[in-house]
Amino acid sequence: MLSHSATLVRKLPPDPGDETRQLRGQVNARILVVDDDTALAEMIGIVLRTEGFEPFFCEDGLQAVEAFHSAKPDLVLLDLMLPGLDGIEVCSRIREESGVPIIMLTAKSDTSDVVKGLESGADDYVVKPFNPKELVARVRTRLRPTPQTSTGSLQVGDLTLDVAGHEVKRGEAKINLTPLEFELLLALALKPQQVFTREMLLEQVWGYHYKADTRLVNVHVQRLRAKVEEDPDNPKIVMTVRGVGYRAGSTT
Amino acid sequence: MRDFDLRAWFENLARLWRSSLQLRTVAITVLLSGVAVGIIGGYMSFSVGTNLFDLRRTQLEGTSANATLAGQRYFDQAAEQAGVDDLDATTSDALRAILSTTGTTQLALLRSPGQAGSPVPQDRAVGFNTRDLVSAEMRAAVQDSSEPRTHSQSVALPQEDGTVHPGVVVGSLLTIAGSDYELYLVYDIIDLQQALGFVQQTLVFGGLALVLLIAAVAFLVVRLIVGPVQVAAETSERLAAGQLEVRIPVRGDDVIATLARSFNGMAASLQNQITRLAALSQVQQRFVSDVSHELRTPLTTIRLAGDVLYDQRESFPPATARTAELLHTQVERFELLLADLLEMSRYDAGAVDMETEPTNLVRLVEDAVASVTTLAESKGSPLRVVAPGGYFEAEVDARRIRRILQNLLGNAIDHGEGKPIVVYVDSDQKGVAIAVRDYGVGMTPAAMDRVFDRFWRADPSRQRVTGGTGLGLAISLEDAALHGGWLEVWSSPGEGSCFRLTLPRVRGGVLTSSPVDLPPDDSIPLEVPHA
Repeated sequence: MLSHSATLVRKLPPDPGDETRQLRGQVNARILVVDDDTALAEMIGIVLRTEGFEPFFCEDGLQAVEAFHSAKPDLVLLDLMLPGLDGIEVCSRIREESGVPIIMLTAKSDTSDVVKGLESGADDYVVKPFNPKELVARVRTRLRPTPQTSTGSLQVGDLTLDVAGHEVKRGEAKINLTPLEFELLLALALKPQQVFTREMLLEQVWGYHYKADTRLVNVHVQRLRAKVEEDPDNPKIVMTVRGVGYRAGSTT
Repeated sequence: MRDFDLRAWFENLARLWRSSLQLRTVAITVLLSGVAVGIIGGYMSFSVGTNLFDLRRTQLEGTSANATLAGQRYFDQAAEQAGVDDLDATTSDALRAILSTTGTTQLALLRSPGQAGSPVPQDRAVGFNTRDLVSAEMRAAVQDSSEPRTHSQSVALPQEDGTVHPGVVVGSLLTIAGSDYELYLVYDIIDLQQALGFVQQTLVFGGLALVLLIAAVAFLVVRLIVGPVQVAAETSERLAAGQLEVRIPVRGDDVIATLARSFNGMAASLQNQITRLAALSQVQQRFVSDVSHELRTPLTTIRLAGDVLYDQRESFPPATARTAELLHTQVERFELLLADLLEMSRYDAGAVDMETEPTNLVRLVEDAVASVTTLAESKGSPLRVVAPGGYFEAEVDARRIRRILQNLLGNAIDHGEGKPIVVYVDSDQKGVAIAVRDYGVGMTPAAMDRVFDRFWRADPSRQRVTGGTGLGLAISLEDAALHGGWLEVWSSPGEGSCFRLTLPRVRGGVLTSSPVDLPPDDSIPLEVPHA
């Protein structure tokens, strides 16, 4: 069903030439675990350490942003229910200043909470109870390097994507995208002729190789549109193909 | 086309008639008062007309009698003075005098037939067509009268311009030179007609004004009554729509006020009840949510710990290794159970919502089948999908439909005895249906009745591969109901079972039939190798 693009799909083990980046990206990556349940936080810490990550902890929503500043993590694991400050609020505060990947730990799979979390800027979520492999796989996907392409820059609609520089520009104006949003846009832009189903995007961008929550795609397409479209109600960059999925807007 | 318009118009009118009490009341009032005013007006017009006419005739008869007397005297005097020779001239003078006395312009002097003597003076007639206006009956009546009295008759007076005026002919007898003559005076009473017309016009206008006034009064009175009823109807509609705080304003102490007061009382108790239930439901939902969080967090820790141990079990002594394995599998089972329980309680609390999107059900079925193929093959059951075509997308919550399918497929594999399992997908105008058919053990009718019950198991001794929690079908049934769909079962011991899921194609659609038979007709589409 899915045409695997050699340049897009992460390979394990990674290319030898990419080793330094891979090392910087995954091993010793700093992960901030924000969870009020100390037992769970400690257990997550054990699992992460076993996998070679370096965990930091924070138990309180109010201190989460501060901890984020001091730990300078490469990724945040964020519990939704926190004392002090709501996880969703923490999420949007971190998002305001940084595009660092955020994975929510949620005890609820209820639509509203998950969607609220994703809308406030979380990249992905893991529903409790999760198993270690699941957690580590989510973390690794979000820490993997951006896929390399042969082309240095791409054109979508009136946008220019500088792939190496991780930059999106409309004319001279730079548009700030999180790594995930950039990857989503890049996936569409690399194959402008292809219509991507939500499942394809889940596999390419989120690394899910089985049926996952298509709301991830819906919410992030909305967030992306809010940033890159001049009129989000009338999208020109990320087009909806009704009943199928999305495709990149034609180059103007 | 014209007929159709007319009919549509009549239907509209009929609908308005049925639906508007106000229109009905006002229309009936106008009709009845119109009839009454018409009768009274007609009677008045008739009576005024008759009286006016009688009065005028009496007056005209009087005038004529006087004129006749004056004429007679004239002739008598003329006869004494001049003799008969100059009778023609005398007659002319006499008639002129009569005309000037009566003010009419038409008269006739006719000699009564059958008399001896010279026919002098000759018959005379003044005015347009006067001779013809005098009928034979009239002449007979005048001739027969022995004493000097007048006779009158109504006639139509043709005018020179072609119009016809009402008129009265008054006849009397004259004796001229010993012979009987009949004098007919013709009066034009068009002025009377005009006066009557004016009166009638006034009556019609007055009547119309009266009817309109009555209509207005009826409208106001009906409004006075219907108004509060309408307010009550609107208020109860808003109440039904969920605006629990609406009330009817109470004014005065009459029966309408009583209605308003009792309505408000009902609304208040309804509001209380609903608010109480809503609060209860909220408490329940919060509880579910709290339990979810509180249970899942420690369970996650246990899960992580168990998995870490499980991954290292090879370095443990055998008993500890087995313990780690048991811990691992049972935590998994506990997790499934908890997830199903929470889903069930969400349904019980009414705290579920659907995320529908246009979904290709054939693709969804194929994916679901692909995900259990390995398991089915390990049990020896070949899986087939039969999709005869003609299906489009349906608006469904793909996650829930996938869950139902996984459940049905899992059950079919568990109870399929290694025989083929066929999944049918078909659709029609209104709905889509998925039927999962196995040729395994089947169920008794008693078992079929209980198959959707919570924690009910077909055969407790049966080994379960898919590790169901006993809530699967109960949740599936709720999922189907949430879509406004059906989940039905057919089964026969030894022949296998079939679960059919039917869903409306669009959200909120209503199903009347299913595109797939229960059980599906399996004789045509494919050869089923009965092992």
